[in-house]
Amino acid sequence: MSGVHTPPGLAAPIHPILRRAVLTGLAFGAGAVHLTVVGVVLMLHQRWIVVGTLSLGEATLLAIAAGAGAMAAANAGTAAGARIMLGLLAGAVAAAPLAALAVLIDLVSLRAIFIALSPDLLAMLTLGLGPATGIALLIAGGAGAGLLGAALQQSPRAVIRAVLPGATAVVVAGVFQELIQLMLQQYEGVVNDVRAFLYSWEGLNPAGAITIFAVTALLGEAVGLRRRRRPAHAPPRDPRRARMMRAGIALLVLAVLPAFAGSYIGQVLMLVGLYILMGMGLNLEIGLAGLLDLGFVAFFAVGAYTTALLTTESAHALLHLSYWLAMPVAVLLSILVGVLFGLPVLGVRGDYLAVATLGLGEIVRVIVQSDFAAPLLGGAQGILEIPKPRIGPYVLGSPVALFYVTLAAAGVAAFVAWRLENSRLGRAWMALRDDEDVAQALGINLIQCKLLAYGLGAAFAGLAGSIFATMLTSVYPSSFQLLISINVLALIIVGGMGSLPGVVLGAVALIGLPELLREFGEYRYLFYGAVLIVMMRLRPEGLWPSDVRQRELHARDETLALDAGSDPLPVQPR
Amino acid sequence: MRTILNRTRSGLAGMLAAAALLAGATSAMAAQTVGPVTDDIGVIRIPKGAPIQIGGTWVLSGPDTALGLDERRGVEIAFKDAGGQVLGHPLKLNAEDDQCNAEGGQTAATKLAANPQTAVVLGPACSSVATPGAPILWQAGIVEICTACTAPALTAPGRKPEYAGFARTVFSDSEQGKADATFIANVMKARTVVTIHDGSPYAQQLQQVMADNFRKLGGTVLSQEAVAPTDVDMHPLLTRIASEKPDLIYFPVFTAAAAQILRQAKETPGLERTALMGGGSLLSADFIEAAGPAVVGFRIGYPDLSPDAMGKGYPHFVDEYKRAYGEAPISGYHANAYDGAMLAIKAIEKVGKTDDAGNLYIGKKAFRDAVFSIKFEGISGPIACDAYGECSQFKPSVLEFTSADPKTFGIGQNPKKIWP
Amino acid sequence: MARMGAVDVALWGMRIGVVLVVVVGTIGTLIKGRYTAAQWFDFVMFGLTIGSIYAQIALGYTMVYGVLRLINFAHGDIVMTGAFAGYFVAAPLDRSGFLQNHPVPGMVAILVVAIATSTTIALLTERIAYRPFRRVVGLAPLICAIGVSFFLEQTFRGAFGSAVKSYPSPEWQRASFNVIGFNVPGIDVLVIGLALLFMLVLYLVVQRTRMGKAMRAVAEDGEAAALMGIDVNKVVVFTFTLGGVMAGIAGVFYAFVYKQVYFFMGFTPGIKAFGAAVLGGIGSIPGAMLGGFFLGLVESVGPSLFLDGIGIPAPYQLRDLIAFTLLIMVLIFRPQGILGERMAKKRA
Repeated sequence: MSGVHTPPGLAAPIHPILRRAVLTGLAFGAGAVHLTVVGVVLMLHQRWIVVGTLSLGEATLLAIAAGAGAMAAANAGTAAGARIMLGLLAGAVAAAPLAALAVLIDLVSLRAIFIALSPDLLAMLTLGLGPATGIALLIAGGAGAGLLGAALQQSPRAVIRAVLPGATAVVVAGVFQELIQLMLQQYEGVVNDVRAFLYSWEGLNPAGAITIFAVTALLGEAVGLRRRRRPAHAPPRDPRRARMMRAGIALLVLAVLPAFAGSYIGQVLMLVGLYILMGMGLNLEIGLAGLLDLGFVAFFAVGAYTTALLTTESAHALLHLSYWLAMPVAVLLSILVGVLFGLPVLGVRGDYLAVATLGLGEIVRVIVQSDFAAPLLGGAQGILEIPKPRIGPYVLGSPVALFYVTLAAAGVAAFVAWRLENSRLGRAWMALRDDEDVAQALGINLIQCKLLAYGLGAAFAGLAGSIFATMLTSVYPSSFQLLISINVLALIIVGGMGSLPGVVLGAVALIGLPELLREFGEYRYLFYGAVLIVMMRLRPEGLWPSDVRQRELHARDETLALDAGSDPLPVQPR
Repeated sequence: MRTILNRTRSGLAGMLAAAALLAGATSAMAAQTVGPVTDDIGVIRIPKGAPIQIGGTWVLSGPDTALGLDERRGVEIAFKDAGGQVLGHPLKLNAEDDQCNAEGGQTAATKLAANPQTAVVLGPACSSVATPGAPILWQAGIVEICTACTAPALTAPGRKPEYAGFARTVFSDSEQGKADATFIANVMKARTVVTIHDGSPYAQQLQQVMADNFRKLGGTVLSQEAVAPTDVDMHPLLTRIASEKPDLIYFPVFTAAAAQILRQAKETPGLERTALMGGGSLLSADFIEAAGPAVVGFRIGYPDLSPDAMGKGYPHFVDEYKRAYGEAPISGYHANAYDGAMLAIKAIEKVGKTDDAGNLYIGKKAFRDAVFSIKFEGISGPIACDAYGECSQFKPSVLEFTSADPKTFGIGQNPKKIWP
Repeated sequence: MARMGAVDVALWGMRIGVVLVVVVGTIGTLIKGRYTAAQWFDFVMFGLTIGSIYAQIALGYTMVYGVLRLINFAHGDIVMTGAFAGYFVAAPLDRSGFLQNHPVPGMVAILVVAIATSTTIALLTERIAYRPFRRVVGLAPLICAIGVSFFLEQTFRGAFGSAVKSYPSPEWQRASFNVIGFNVPGIDVLVIGLALLFMLVLYLVVQRTRMGKAMRAVAEDGEAAALMGIDVNKVVVFTFTLGGVMAGIAGVFYAFVYKQVYFFMGFTPGIKAFGAAVLGGIGSIPGAMLGGFFLGLVESVGPSLFLDGIGIPAPYQLRDLIAFTLLIMVLIFRPQGILGERMAKKRA
């Protein structure tokens, strides 16, 4: 172990395994320093996981060190004991850059340049014990976490099956404490007693944390045991059926949750629902027809503004229709705009198309915001006093009620999308996506096909926009930024191109989760960017790829092989 | 398989029906008696030792962070001044980021409204947040005391009943625009102006009100221009304006664009003798940093914050602020926020009832009525709400920047008051 | 055939509409005679200044696209990183008076730091985010580039704050000349002149050096180039280096003209510069320069020239509309761009 504290490169012949562990540790350490310098760590530190014991920031740093340990241990071909020692080494090395940063902060104030490097941060890193003791503890903590990570990585499955779910449950219970407490508070009696046992006003109690960990660990163990007990000769379950089952359960939860979880969850799920609608629309354009569209927000805006103009009670009203009449008009108008939008870019392909559509989307936004169009569209002041939809005497005012409207719309849209996928048109789109020239040679009418893709895709976004307008009871131009187009694009890519469940999953992950973690909103797009990069590198086919795509990928695996990040999308020969 | 599917389907239908019922039930509001308190729209019960939860919604991320953060600090100081507690219960602020847009505001309001313990909501900083947010809160019987949203419609006579729970400790743009027009026409003796806005509801409204009032005072508005908030090259626009030779350019836009206009106007031939004036969104050290040397002599219209015009408590407040956050107030609405928080605290003190076991009860309707009737001397001036929730007394002033060093930022010195 | 006709009619309608707006607007403005010759000269000058910056950013896009067929969505943010790095040198140099008294070494120091930073970050993104997609055509690389863009912006925001920082403005930058009765700001001349110089150098590097030849070979046909023994990896690194250098220069110039740096500053110019690259014909270096200057000019002159004339209020609010309409018009009329060679069809 003589080379342990020597950085790579100084002492010439470092054993390659050690070198690897050190490099792993440094990579994780760089990540930790990045998170610290941009201020994420200190912000997470404000939040308890377990009140008085462990903050989210501390947990993040420990998790990084543990990750370094686990990774260092995973790839080494030595004996188990040695691997665990490698984990310890990697953990300590991962903590070293942070320790160096702490020394630096202690010596010179860098705050004039790096705003996050405050005295509070130093106090957090050194546990308020002063630099010398604190930094020793920091490295020791890293080493300990690395050791634990490596030990966990090396331990039998039974242990992992218990510990990982247990730890995850504690983190979830701690991070979402406000939300969970809100949900539980609605009910008196036993539910509320359980809440009072697990939580204090500020967050999770130590006793509560231990309980949650124990219960989840036991559950994980039980499930694992049951699985293993299934006789080995029994036929494996049909994977498609299993997937359908899982999708069904997820949908059921999605459908029922808001009714019990209250209006806030309803509101968040409603936003998720709107993005699901848009995702399905864009999926027709990109996933099926292969038309990369970065101006999708334009159709969303058309739907919202049409609904607003047709139903508002303010001076901007063109007509005073009921919502249920205005919605189809909005959808029809979106289709029309979609077709108009498609016209100029008919002859444009690939990346050019991305830029052209981005330009078209921006044109719509600029017009909506302008003083030039203000007499009609309200300009910067937007359009207010849009009524909520009614069914007979009932006003669908609450987020939960509107969520069910969105859910119904999404259900209809999903059905349409599903039918389209397997229709003649859907197959024509796929042919178009795979090779435009061949498609044309096969007698597919390219113009009709493309315009239909834009029009139908726009219909979905228009529907979402229409619900959006009535949800907000006001529309402002600032709601129709380029960022929305990018969000929608990202969610169908993360979910899995061309896959309907993928859209749902993508929307929940990219829209729902950040909404629930609103207080960390500042860093939303940092994580967003990181997720996009990591997803594309590790799982480019998305979280829930469509069957076809998965087949394609697997067929290609043999040829195009293991070149990291094989393409999820149609491959065109160069 | 089929039977399973069928069962799930009928189960799903049942659940949906139950859900619809539940959704219907929760949105109803009715008279309620809890403990010693009976109230027309509901009662909050705060168990002994539990905190009084006060919601907050401000812009806490993105380019306008300073605006929202300043207000949150104002509220935090108010809580501290109240001893951190009211009627024996600690005060807890649940601050949400509304991103200064309508959808963020609606989500934040829904989250706060979903918490049955939310006694009152302070904020937001943007009118486009309050417009969809306030009705959601009032539907749950929660009063919103806005600390910086200035759109006239929010407290206009004849506002809709769903805004009945909305009050603000900040003046309306119609007051600010009128005051600015008066200053420009009567004090600066300008005859012709050009206005610029950036497409934000705030700037567009304010310049419109100013232009209307300026015309009423006999001046001429040569044109009303607009830019995008991310524009950097203002030269062409300013050259265009120079061809009209206005006496003054009025641009109540936000930091980045305002700094560009200010700097580039000084370099544009034909604008050498044209005066420049901005709005309250520029009262921050960030703006001095962004505008550089051109800022010296630049004027902005703003409610009077100088110690002699403000309530007696203001100097103490500024000391407190500096001690807590290590810098002078970073934006302009902290005093309104402080007063909003004080109004809420006083209203809780007035209507809160404690039973023998130490539980606290607050009637929601009683609380609303208390907010609308309490009068006191705030640090931003006297606070007394009218029937439509306008609680602040507007005193106009004009401030002038005196130095380009952001460290000298301090209301009263840089910028210093030049009028009245 | 009938449907074909309908589409053609619609497209012609759009073209005629745009031409009508331009012609009627221009005539209307000229009849009104609102602006003096000096003012028209100023419009052109401003347009060329911002155009020279667009041109330099566009070069980065066009080279990377030529070699990798990748829209480096994050290129605008790489410009931002250069401007930020330059700021942290420029601000202390200005405070100590060095920048005022020794303009040349001062500017060189700022540029060197900015270029070093933006080049390092460009190469890091290439290595971490783009290289794994080298053999992939499709959406994955573009999405990854969008991710990089967000990541860079937010990293800088988190580390350096969201406030707008003001670039120093030493005395010598505020000088202006009088040329035959027209007022010419010194900084504009400096920026345009240096931009032209750097672009000329770049052009020569690409045309004359071995590496430049290799780059052009890869752009022409990557596989054939690889078979001829060209190290494609090296070429890509070289391309990103050139793009990073130009981004650093563009960032500093941009910041010296417009005096502001903040985390989001690269986004809009980045998108517009990409438009400029397409305008000029993507993959073509002179095309990118021409496209940049042209876009800058149209943005600066356009609102006053043809929107004013048809009585549109607040024409400068519609500046982006003009830029993007121009882009789309080029894609309809001449998809290969001004100087491009049938690239849109061949390579899309």
